[in-house]
Amino acid sequence: MGNGKSIVITSGKGGVGKTTTTANIGTGLAMLGYKVVVVDTDIGLRNLDVVMGLENRIVYDLVDVVEGNCRLKQGLIKDKRYEGLYLLPAAQTKDKTAVTPEQMMDLVSKLREEFDYIIIDSPAGIEQGFKNSIAGADQAFIVTTPEISAVRDADRVIGILEANGISDPKLIINRIRYDMVKRGDMMNVDDIVDILAIDLLGIIPDDEAIVISTNKGEPVVAEDKPLAAKAYKNICDRITGKEVEFLDLDDHEGKFSKILKLLFSR
Amino acid sequence: MKESLVSFKGINGGIYINIKKGQFNRIREELEKKLEEAMDFFKGANILGIKSEDLSQEQIDEIMDIITCKFQLNVLNNLEDNSKEKEVFTGIYEGMTKFINTTVRSGQVIEYDGNVVIIGDVNPGALIKAKGNIIVLGSLKGVAHAGIDGNQNAIVAAYDLQPMQLRIGAVISRKPDDNTAISRMPEIARISNGEVIIEPYLPRK
Repeated sequence: MGNGKSIVITSGKGGVGKTTTTANIGTGLAMLGYKVVVVDTDIGLRNLDVVMGLENRIVYDLVDVVEGNCRLKQGLIKDKRYEGLYLLPAAQTKDKTAVTPEQMMDLVSKLREEFDYIIIDSPAGIEQGFKNSIAGADQAFIVTTPEISAVRDADRVIGILEANGISDPKLIINRIRYDMVKRGDMMNVDDIVDILAIDLLGIIPDDEAIVISTNKGEPVVAEDKPLAAKAYKNICDRITGKEVEFLDLDDHEGKFSKILKLLFSR
Repeated sequence: MKESLVSFKGINGGIYINIKKGQFNRIREELEKKLEEAMDFFKGANILGIKSEDLSQEQIDEIMDIITCKFQLNVLNNLEDNSKEKEVFTGIYEGMTKFINTTVRSGQVIEYDGNVVIIGDVNPGALIKAKGNIIVLGSLKGVAHAGIDGNQNAIVAAYDLQPMQLRIGAVISRKPDDNTAISRMPEIARISNGEVIIEPYLPRK
């Protein structure tokens, strides 16, 4: 058995940024020189290939690999930018029942031999697709946004994960808007951590750069400037065991407004 | 260095084992060595048959035993069956045609043993598979596979031809990664010199 570590990215609620997070963590770890495979388990509603800009390369998919229509190596798509980064896309023309948790476990154990990290993108919900996605995972990252509904679903998912023997999941809070938090219009990080009571792995600010990069099919983490890219890079560093301070989001409200404040405070 | 007696040739659908004239012991040794070295490569592959210059049926049977029992490879069928050419759909000039009178959306598959005409769009994530030609009276943005059983003369044509991937026969081509200029003309894709080429079919319009 190989040494690769498998991590499932899940949330319960849809639209909170699982796929974006998977693409960015996968790319970020590959940028650090690790061998990484990102696996899309959202059969029938695949997106990870689009976000990574690899849709035009798909010939075989997860279901083909599991059913033995092709060899594992044929199903893996090499990333166009980073050496050591591969995608195993989901099938689009099947549904979640095309794969069983046992087959997923088997698949992940094969991937472990080849890769340092196996990042599994989970579908929304807690049905079969979700069960498939967690079947082969050693660890789970929970993505949530600062909304009560997303936090509620995250809580439910943490419970299910524990019942399935995946303890100690890590939390990623996505789409924080610091201006709103300051006005008291948005839940802050501490509130969320209080409710969910799990370790915080990262905070991703709401950033236009994410929308732009998603539409271009190039994960934001590869860029230098956007704050969200820094946040994802920090998460990758923490995954590999480094201690990195959380970004001070307050610091990035803009130099101009700071100067204004200084002027008016006199 | 002694000349190699055993070689492998991969073709569509599997692998042939070519065996040259030589001592049977050495052939067997070499075969076992090569298979052992590349076990990963051969795992799950189909052996289509053995082509030999001078082996008796008994010797061929012994080699087949080694392949199937010791290395557990799949042997598809015996040599005689392989000599038959697979029949391909030939009705690309005149033949069975299916008409689809709607937009084909992501996740939908249209599969037909003949030509397919889509009166509508083919969206990204949709898949059209036809043994013959594929004609789209709309935008083709999904994946189109014409001539699935090997007809290299099949074509794909669309009013707006921007497929994610185009496959004709055994040839696969994909959309370029950079945003190339979109042609506003109806176009046709076909195979020329083993590559898919795309050109307008109404160049003067």
